[in-house]
Amino acid sequence: MTLTRRMTLAAFAGVLALGTAAPAFAADLIAIITPSHDNPFFKAEAVGAEAKAKELGYEALVLVHDDDANKQSELIDTAIGRGAKAIILDNAGADATVAAVQKAKDAGIPSFLIDREINATGVAVAQIVSNNYQGAQLGAQEFVKLMGEKGNFVELVGKESDTNAGIRSKGYHDVIDDYPDLKMVAQQSANWSQTEAYSKMESILQANPDIKGVISGNDTMAMGAYAALAAANRKDVIVVGFDGSNDVRDSITSSGIKATVLQPAYAQAQMAVEQANDFIKNKKSPEKEKQLMDCVLVNGDNAKKLETFALKN
Amino acid sequence: MPKKLTWLTLVALAGLGLGACKILPTPSAQSEGSAPAFNPDKMVEDIWAAKVIPYLRQKAGPFAEVHALAKTDPAAAGAKYGNPKKQANSPWTFAVRVEGKIVAANTQSRAATMDIDVDGDGKADARVQVGPAMRGTALRDSLDFVQFNDFTNQIDFAQFGKAFNAYADKTVLSKLPREALEGRSAKVLGAYTIEGGQDLPLVTPAEAEIGPKP
Repeated sequence: MTLTRRMTLAAFAGVLALGTAAPAFAADLIAIITPSHDNPFFKAEAVGAEAKAKELGYEALVLVHDDDANKQSELIDTAIGRGAKAIILDNAGADATVAAVQKAKDAGIPSFLIDREINATGVAVAQIVSNNYQGAQLGAQEFVKLMGEKGNFVELVGKESDTNAGIRSKGYHDVIDDYPDLKMVAQQSANWSQTEAYSKMESILQANPDIKGVISGNDTMAMGAYAALAAANRKDVIVVGFDGSNDVRDSITSSGIKATVLQPAYAQAQMAVEQANDFIKNKKSPEKEKQLMDCVLVNGDNAKKLETFALKN
Repeated sequence: MPKKLTWLTLVALAGLGLGACKILPTPSAQSEGSAPAFNPDKMVEDIWAAKVIPYLRQKAGPFAEVHALAKTDPAAAGAKYGNPKKQANSPWTFAVRVEGKIVAANTQSRAATMDIDVDGDGKADARVQVGPAMRGTALRDSLDFVQFNDFTNQIDFAQFGKAFNAYADKTVLSKLPREALEGRSAKVLGAYTIEGGQDLPLVTPAEAEIGPKP
């Protein structure tokens, strides 16, 4: 106990020293670390967090870890070195990230996780994550309905290191596997990538021309799969995605992809910055560390209301 | 400037690295310990009769009352029939009793349902899931002694939710009649979650009886 306190004090002293040693930074700094902005979902997170940070008078340091846990660890070091007051993090792995967040905590810097959770509590101050399982169930229920409860289908899975890939797949199967007439003829990872989904879909389609549907772990893969299907003159195949991107919205409204599930990425990132602000200014932690945000089904009925990962009324 | 920063970072890290070594064992010993493998079906089986059914019986209100209050004052309905410890951003889930006449049934789908008229106007008021495929996690979410923060991650929490539906299906719903349901009486104890865009409130039963053919 004494040791813990001493270490915390030491850490605190270190941070204070840093603060005084770096007078160049006028405003307090918030580090915003996400996967690559190639995926509009992560970009929306970074943009949302940055906008809120600036609105609250902070300077924002926006970084990307490209789903590389080593790079993430270096970026956390950078945030510590720059004397960030808080870290907003969409992390690079549920297990690999625990040590990195602990490192920041030991340096006196609170972390606020968004989108993906980690397999530990008490390390981050907040973990604000989309209820991916609930969202996957919504997507799968719509998929089952569109398929008429029967037929051959393909599942495209996300990047294995990302917990959400597993959670969504589990959510899909917890619904779909209750229907014995729905048969999964192929299940492959396309690592969240549009180009990879395109090439995987091409070869899957050659081996299984009799497919009726594709359920995808995210929207970029759904876009890639649909492009491959369209190129093969198979626009009849039912495609369902996940995220609620503007690309998929446009596909839905032009009778391409049938449905997706909206994750409130923008609102979630802003909420994390608000909680960070409350922590920095008032030393107040959110009531619960793990906070789930429900997802919403987007199909032909409401796609027009979708804009940058938010539904407009 | 960069030199100074690096030096400071090193000092901070050196001290902290040591701290981490000493601090870590306590929380990890608590969370990992000698915990047995996660078995959601067994967990649900263990609490079903002892905690789940008594909780729902004590908490549930008649459907018409619960739903009327939920529409006018969700917070009041939540305090009375809901789980006050729910996630702040999640919709309310209420414990209810549904008693009435079956006015329609869909037993063609594997996600079979029956529509119940509770006020005798001939129109359906609630849709009750009768399995084997069931949607949502209303039973889990109605219980104030179940917290997401007690689970390692969403997958475990989700499997726990699914285990409630599976247990209800195995012990109660799979034994219900499937033919000629219309016109018969039904009595259900269960839970439902307020969701937008629903045709009818979708009730997941923990107990259910269907009366004889009229």
